[in-house]
Parts: sequence; structure tokens; C-alpha cells
Amino acid sequence: MSYWEIFTWLTVIILGLGSIMVFLLFVRDIKIILKKFRED
Amino acid sequence: MYSLAIIDYIIVIGYLSGMIGVGVWFAKKHTDFEDFFLAGRSLTTPILITTLISTYYGIDVLFGDTQLAFTDGVVAWFGYARPTYAFFLIAALLLAKRLREKDFKSLPDILYLYYGNKARYVGALTSFIYSLPALSLYGFGMLAEVALGWEPIFGMLILGGIALVYTLTGGFWAVALTDSIQFVMMCLVIAIAFPFAMNFIGGFDSMIELLPESYFDTLGDLNIFLIIIYASTGLSILVEPTFYQRIFAAKSYKNVRNALIIGIFIWGSYDWIITILAMSAKTAVLQGLLPTDVAPDAALLTVVIAALPAGIVGLFIAGVLSTEMSTLDSYCLVAGGNVSYDIYKPAFKPDVSDKELIKITRYGVLLSWILGFGMATAFKQMLGLWVFLSSILISSTLVPILLGLYIKKFRKPLAGFISSGSGLFSTIILNIYIMAKGTFDPLEETYIVQWFGIDFLQEFVMYITVPISLIGFIIGLLIERRIEK
Repeated sequence: MSYWEIFTWLTVIILGLGSIMVFLLFVRDIKIILKKFRED
Repeated sequence: MYSLAIIDYIIVIGYLSGMIGVGVWFAKKHTDFEDFFLAGRSLTTPILITTLISTYYGIDVLFGDTQLAFTDGVVAWFGYARPTYAFFLIAALLLAKRLREKDFKSLPDILYLYYGNKARYVGALTSFIYSLPALSLYGFGMLAEVALGWEPIFGMLILGGIALVYTLTGGFWAVALTDSIQFVMMCLVIAIAFPFAMNFIGGFDSMIELLPESYFDTLGDLNIFLIIIYASTGLSILVEPTFYQRIFAAKSYKNVRNALIIGIFIWGSYDWIITILAMSAKTAVLQGLLPTDVAPDAALLTVVIAALPAGIVGLFIAGVLSTEMSTLDSYCLVAGGNVSYDIYKPAFKPDVSDKELIKITRYGVLLSWILGFGMATAFKQMLGLWVFLSSILISSTLVPILLGLYIKKFRKPLAGFISSGSGLFSTIILNIYIMAKGTFDPLEETYIVQWFGIDFLQEFVMYITVPISLIGFIIGLLIERRIEK
């Protein structure tokens, strides 16, 4: 496996896991915001 | 054209319906203009990451990075994408803090505070022109043609129309929320596409074996001046209207800083994977797996659609639609705000109510979409158009905004107005001159004019116009000082 390929797999992991983690945090925040909208 | 399975259609239609649903849900929930335009300044770090990344990607994905990667290799990431992260870091550590010190609502708002209404109008005009969604609509046309077999104009009307509907109805809340869903879709499909693309071409080693060595040269075959030019397009971050809008919409400076620093890693990974995917498209062409006449800017779409199985293709198309929609909605909204908040309010009705301001913003969104559609159908050279639009913005706002933000004694109305006006004027004149007198080079995909034996590319314009804007600023300062004395 070349360094190029190892680097690419590393970016695949960062992108895949990173986007899921950010999205989960987003869901946590948006729940609070939507609740505020419903109350208004 | 790839023929889609029913499951792919179900996924795409489900996604598009969801986007409209979000817009409709938010339609009646806005309390005032700040809520409609800046989501009540309440964006948290995760929402900022998702909306910043999904908005900034779109144009680059389809026209910049992948096109360059297909024709030149990894230099697309090292020369074109990587320098942008340095500008993001500068923005995170230096610029965002300054921008949060006052309650700005838009980029021209800054020009107004430091230089008065004249500079604000020039800024509003350039921000409006820059934000016209011509490239996104063109992207929709291309996607519809490659993936769905539609006429490009139908793709623009239907797909671009859906983004228009939820932006018009839901404002920035709808934009931020849909951006977040679009973010996760676009990132995941690109991550998933990589192993499938490698499988399609017979592994990563096939690329190393078949592609010329220069494809793995970090500086490639490109001439150093062109690399500097590509790298300096990242300068636009420092005066990007949608980027500013997100900084203003954040809960605090800390949220912006954290979002940008985390975002750099996701940006970098995304850029690298699409670079590799475009290179795999080139490999597939050399292997005879893809036709030789694949357009460089459609390379990514073509290879991924050919490599992915049914169901995942639907997700990928929804992901690419997301990439374009999140860009189009954000730019339309900024353009709408330029019309209402930066031009209509100060010039015609300073005491305008929030309700009317929201209505005018919606008209502005619609106007920008119609003009963008006209440009997308009229212009043939989208890359040239993109260079023209970004050089207009950079040349007319970079100097007055950065100098105004950092040097108090430079905040003189005439300096700001002459600087932005001369930047705008010189950019238009130079671009028209190069397009009229120069020749179009299909290899470089740009207009070239010969000056003193040197090939002067259209991309070089801002190297003349930004200094002109700086000279204009200095002249304005000197005149102001003379008047004061």
C-alpha cells in the first residue's frame, strides 16, 4: 500500500466519522432550537 | 447516461420533498428580519460547521478541484485547495473576531459603518453580482444531463426551482437546517464512493501504474504563476458574503473559531477524496472503462455513477444535489439581503418595517435566481464567468474592508468609495478588454491576451485591479486629509 493510498484512507475515515459526529451534535442542538420555535 | 433504479428515484424524490418540507415548516415562523436573515444570531458550532462546509462546496467541487485533478493530478489539492485552508485559519484566528465586534448584518454593512453609504452601495452591487447563482444552476443542468438524462435547462428549472422555493419560504433557518442535512449526505457519499471507485478501476495501484508521473507531483505540470493564481483565489474567503453571513449568524466568536478549525480537517479530507476520484476517472478513461470524450468537469460524476451500485447511486445523486443546493440557497439569500437591507432600506425607505424588509428580501432572492438562470443559459465558459465574478468582489471590497477593520484612522468615506469604485470599474473594463481582444485557449479554458510578449490570462486580472483599488484608497485618504487641513 503506497503512502498516497494510506493518506486517502485516512481522509476517508476523517470525512466519514467526522461528518457523522458533527451531524449527531447538530441533531442535539437543533432539537433545542426547534423546541423553542414550537413554544413561540 | 446511467439508467437509475427505482430505489435511486425514491431516494432522490424523498430528499427533494424533505427540502421543500423544511422551507414550508419555517415559512411563518420568522419574528423579524434578523431572524429571517441571520437565524436570530443563534447558530452553534455544529450548525456552523455544517452550513459553512456545505455552502462553500458546490462550485469548487464541480468546476475547480475535480477538473484540475482530472487533467493534472494531485496538484489540484496541493496547489488549489490546500492554500484555501490557510485563509480559513486566518479568518478563524484574526478576521472573525473583528467581524463579531459590531452587530453587522452583511458585508456592505461594514463598508457603511467605516465609509458611509456610497461605499456601501458599491459593496452591495458587487456582493449581489457575485452571489448570482449562475454556476450552481449550470451545475444542476450538468448533473441532470449526466445523471438523469434530462435537458440541462430542465435540470436548472426543476432542481434549482426547489432550492428557490425553500429559500424563499424558510429564510436562513431553512437554509441552515437544509445545509446540515446536505452536509452529512455530501460527506458520506464521497467517503462511500472511494472504495467503489477503486474497485471499479482495479485498485489504487492501477492509478499509480497508468497515470503519468506528473499526476503525483505536488506541483504538477502547471506553471508556477498559474499555481499562485489558483492559490490566491482563496483570498475570496476574506470577503466572502455567505461566509460573513455565517460569522454574523453565530452565537459567539468562539463558535465561529471552533467551527472553522474543525471544518478545515473535513474540508481537507473532502477535497483530497474528490481529487483522487477525479484521478480515478482519468484512469478509467485510459483503461477504456469510460469514454475518451468525458468532459473534465463531469469526470467525478461520471466515474462515481459508473462505479456505485443501485441505491447508493440515488444517495450519491442526492448528495451532489445537496452540494449544489446548499450553495445556491445561501447565495440567493445573500443577494436578496443586498437588495433589501443594503440598497432598498438606506436608499428608499430607512424606516421600513421588518415585515416589508422580509418581503423585499424574497423579491431579491427571486431576482437573483432569474438573473443567475439567464447567465447560466447565456454563458458558455463557466470557469471564466466564475473568475470574473470573484475578481469583481475581491477587487472592490478586499482593500477597503481589511484596512477599515484593522486601521481606525483609515476609515475615511472618500478612501472607501474611491477604492471600491476603482476596483469594480477596472475589473469590468479589463475583463471586457481581455474577452474582446484576447483569444480563448481551450487547454487553459480561459481568455489570453498578449502584453509585452507575455501571455496575460483572464485569471491575472485581480493582480492589476487589487493594486488599483489600493491606489484608489490612498488617493482618497490624501484628498480627505487635504480637505481636513
